[in-house]
Amino acid sequence: MTLNRDFFVAVFFLALSVGMYIASFSLPEPMFGQLASWTWPRIILIPMGLLSLVMMVQSQTNGQGAVHLPDLVAWLRENLNPFICFALFLGFLLTMPVLGMLLGGLLYVFLTLNVLGGWAPRQLALHAGISAVFVFGMWAIFSLVLGVVLPEGTILRVY
Amino acid sequence: MFENIALAAPELFTLTTMALMMVGTMAGLLAGAIPGFTIAMAVVLVLPFTFTMSPVQGLATMIAVYVGGLSGGLMSGILTGIPGTPSSVATTFDGYPLARSGKPGLALGVGVWSSFFGGVFASVVLMLVAPQLATIGLEFQPVDYFSLVIFALTVTASLAGDQMVKGLMSGLLGLLVATVGADVVFGMPRFTFGFDVMEQGFAFLPVLVGIFAFGRLLADVKSKEKAHQPLGGDTTVVHIDYIGSAKEVFKRWGNALRSSIIGVFVGVLPAAGSTISNILAYDQAKKTSKESDQFGKGSIDGIIAPEAANNATAGGALIVMMALGLPGDIMTAIMLGALLIHDVIPSPSFIADEPKIAYAIFLAFFVANFMMLALQSLTLRGFVMITKVKLYMLTAVILFYCALGMFALNNIGWDMWTLFFFGILGFFMRALGFPIVPLVLGVVLGRIAESRLSQVFARSDDIGVFLSRPWSLFFLMLACFSLLFPLYQKHHGKAAWTRFYPPALLVVMAYPVFLMPGTIRPIVAGLMVVSGLVMAGLEIKRGFVPQENK
Repeated sequence: MTLNRDFFVAVFFLALSVGMYIASFSLPEPMFGQLASWTWPRIILIPMGLLSLVMMVQSQTNGQGAVHLPDLVAWLRENLNPFICFALFLGFLLTMPVLGMLLGGLLYVFLTLNVLGGWAPRQLALHAGISAVFVFGMWAIFSLVLGVVLPEGTILRVY
Repeated sequence: MFENIALAAPELFTLTTMALMMVGTMAGLLAGAIPGFTIAMAVVLVLPFTFTMSPVQGLATMIAVYVGGLSGGLMSGILTGIPGTPSSVATTFDGYPLARSGKPGLALGVGVWSSFFGGVFASVVLMLVAPQLATIGLEFQPVDYFSLVIFALTVTASLAGDQMVKGLMSGLLGLLVATVGADVVFGMPRFTFGFDVMEQGFAFLPVLVGIFAFGRLLADVKSKEKAHQPLGGDTTVVHIDYIGSAKEVFKRWGNALRSSIIGVFVGVLPAAGSTISNILAYDQAKKTSKESDQFGKGSIDGIIAPEAANNATAGGALIVMMALGLPGDIMTAIMLGALLIHDVIPSPSFIADEPKIAYAIFLAFFVANFMMLALQSLTLRGFVMITKVKLYMLTAVILFYCALGMFALNNIGWDMWTLFFFGILGFFMRALGFPIVPLVLGVVLGRIAESRLSQVFARSDDIGVFLSRPWSLFFLMLACFSLLFPLYQKHHGKAAWTRFYPPALLVVMAYPVFLMPGTIRPIVAGLMVVSGLVMAGLEIKRGFVPQENK
């Protein structure tokens, strides 16, 4: 048996199908002859589980090599920029209650621009300008023109 | 008809109404172009301004915003690869690759002209056969809708390409995602695992934008060199050939016409909408194209089909709203609200009772398409400037705009988290070789399918109804042929059975058409059978020579 990428993916999907199928037993029974809330999910989960098995079989015949740790590390290194972007976005969401949409957005856009574009003094100035214009501009359109109440954060909260 | 047009025209063609429509179209274009800013939001924002206007003026302005918004969505879809609305999902499949290959002007030009084609076609249909078409909408029951959605889901098979198993799994995962949250029948929490916040489920727009925005943008900034390139590659001058784009669309008039017909038909069915029509039209264009291998790589036909269909759907939805008082989608639901505010109540006799307002709306839809064409031609050059911006700058700013837009959608922070989670999911699924489009399709259609299925079961436990209702049988049979189509395409010319696929399609599909009411459709069914048999006879007479031996 070759423990390749598709094999692990198939195992994941099979586990997901089985896990969700078991979870569907805790859903309430239908009333008045209506469609039970577990019916539709089970209609989806059964073919998903079967297809996972098909994929598992295919993974052994598709000629894909086994997964090795160095390959995984190389892939992670190759995708470092996207992972940093995800981390910055996560930081933006986590700090939202404190910084709010405006300050959080300014910081997030500025940091993302620097991480991806570089930290040279000229670039820092350019990135600061871009963040200020585009973040403040869109924030102003939504909150001042369209009247959308955006998260203000504890820092800018005045009451 | 002409006397009704003559009655409505003076009311519509005033300087004030035209100016209001112009402003409305421009506002719609801008709203549609901003990822996360939906057309519905734009129309709702315009609604209060129409209170003081006359019914014709108010509705004409809202229709202008609607048409502008539908076409504005193609700009963000083509230039950034992020569909602003579900109605422009399929536009990104070929629009974005064509823009990235250094032809953003052509991609946008084709999109604009296709939208115009679809819109004008729907306007003409509106004026000619609105009441007759609306009656087809009345024939549809939940069981027929469910079968239509099942047919739309089979599109995943052809969109999956070589990765059939992964494509189907991706589609099923999308359907599963749509089951999370309050269930559609009782509103009971489902698969929330104790997290109260998950009771809201995953709104499809944050899911859609998350999967496309993160996946597309982050793939572009993997390396430092790539991140510093402009979106349009090294092309320094972006040429927008309006005449050339128009020629490309009119050269492919068959595709534009077929997609517009699909758009109007889906629009006529209450609550189906452009979410389904753009994908169905794209799928049909791919299946009938001689260059189907070019789809997904920047095919012009792949841009024409969804854009013609989604604008035509707007016309179809207006037909149902006017003739039956049923909203076809969220947009027409808002329009219906606007009509009621002005003391105009749509009903089956509305077009006959209020010809002035009804035909003014038809004319406004027609005129708005010309305004959209003129305004887009003027503003396109400005929008194309985006292709000269470096990718890393676009990535940072657009991701923030997406977060802001998703928050504004329902004013809840959970939608931003949904955006983030599905961004990660989309990124990993792409990396693992899963096609993303079936996942999106599953999320978008999952709730519609379940709610229709629950309506079917609320009426009866008899599952035979799926086969006894002509429209349901029609779509289920079409779904079977659609599932077999990738096989047909793969073996076309190499296996003998493929010769009989088109005749069999005609003959088999004739059966449900024959069961439909009226006299025209059974006659059409008869013609389908005769054509199918003639085609089969010709194939037998010709004999079979495998392609390799030719």
